[in-house]
Amino acid sequence: MTQGDRLPDVRYRSGGPAPAQLADVLERVLDKGIVIAGDIQINLLDIELLTVRIRLLIASADKAKEMGIDWWQGDPFLKRGSDGALEGRLRRLEEAAGLPTEEERSEK
Amino acid sequence: MSEAATALYAYGVVSATTQPEGTGIGSRPVDLVAEGDVAALVSSVPADEFGEAALRERLNDRAWLERTAREHEDTLERALAGTPVVPFRLCTVYESRDRLREFLSAHGPGLADLLRRLDGRVELGVKAYFATPSRDAKEPQSGREYLLRRQREREEADEAARFKVECARASHERLAAAAEDARANPPQPPELSGRSDEMLLNGAYLVRSDDGRLADAVAALESLYGPRGVTYEVTGPWPAYNFVPPEVAGA
Repeated sequence: MTQGDRLPDVRYRSGGPAPAQLADVLERVLDKGIVIAGDIQINLLDIELLTVRIRLLIASADKAKEMGIDWWQGDPFLKRGSDGALEGRLRRLEEAAGLPTEEERSEK
Repeated sequence: MSEAATALYAYGVVSATTQPEGTGIGSRPVDLVAEGDVAALVSSVPADEFGEAALRERLNDRAWLERTAREHEDTLERALAGTPVVPFRLCTVYESRDRLREFLSAHGPGLADLLRRLDGRVELGVKAYFATPSRDAKEPQSGREYLLRRQREREEADEAARFKVECARASHERLAAAAEDARANPPQPPELSGRSDEMLLNGAYLVRSDDGRLADAVAALESLYGPRGVTYEVTGPWPAYNFVPPEVAGA
């Protein structure tokens, strides 16, 4: 498979001179701040000292909303938790772990 | 996991016929755990180093996080060069081979479908940036001039705000039309993007790797919005992180 023969504008990283920006890599591999996978379940928001960059990554959605740029809220992927399944699961996890839930945190 | 000396770090899912190669996180060999038609790309890791408490600590270690994120990404990119891949997120860890097999078995048909859907496809990122026009630097000569200028600046700011939302939406729609699937993610703040220009769009697009329509769409958008201060940046090709449904994302 030759990847992207016709995509001259794509900056190739494999063997190319410019490595991907760390923010772009983290944004993808950290799934918007919540690691819920395999047998280990961690909500990155609960990690106290998490690097500034990741905090910004997590905060960026709220900040953009403040600025009124939140049209992607209609994107089904971003609303994927809106059926309550993921939120419910998170809440149960947080309660089980004795952590403050999302609602409690936002009340502070 | 008190008894288990090792756990399995899973990078993602490939077809069971894939030959694993190279090394992954911490320069550990990459191996395959197959179940039916699908298999996970894995590395054996010490269970105590990848338990919840240890990970909480290590995710705070910026050097470790960066190294691990890049090793995770590199491992998936290497696999992606030869075979379709369902990428997992960072630190997807299974306590045992059996637990991982359970997951693969429970989601086998869904994963096999997704691998077929992703065959020959890659994710490309497209970001749009807006350079705020520079303001009139000349000092106002009178109170009236000052007030007029304030009013003009307010009107320009309103107009810019409308333009930014419209440009982001129109750009995403046009790019999505040139892709098989599309996601709009929250734009990164300047501290993250490393650019002073404001990010309007942070999109991910699933395209056939031999399809040039997305690049054409970017070029068209550049001619359309470039004169108004918008620039576009394409990243990738990436594993299709943004196109893995949550139910098969390794849970």
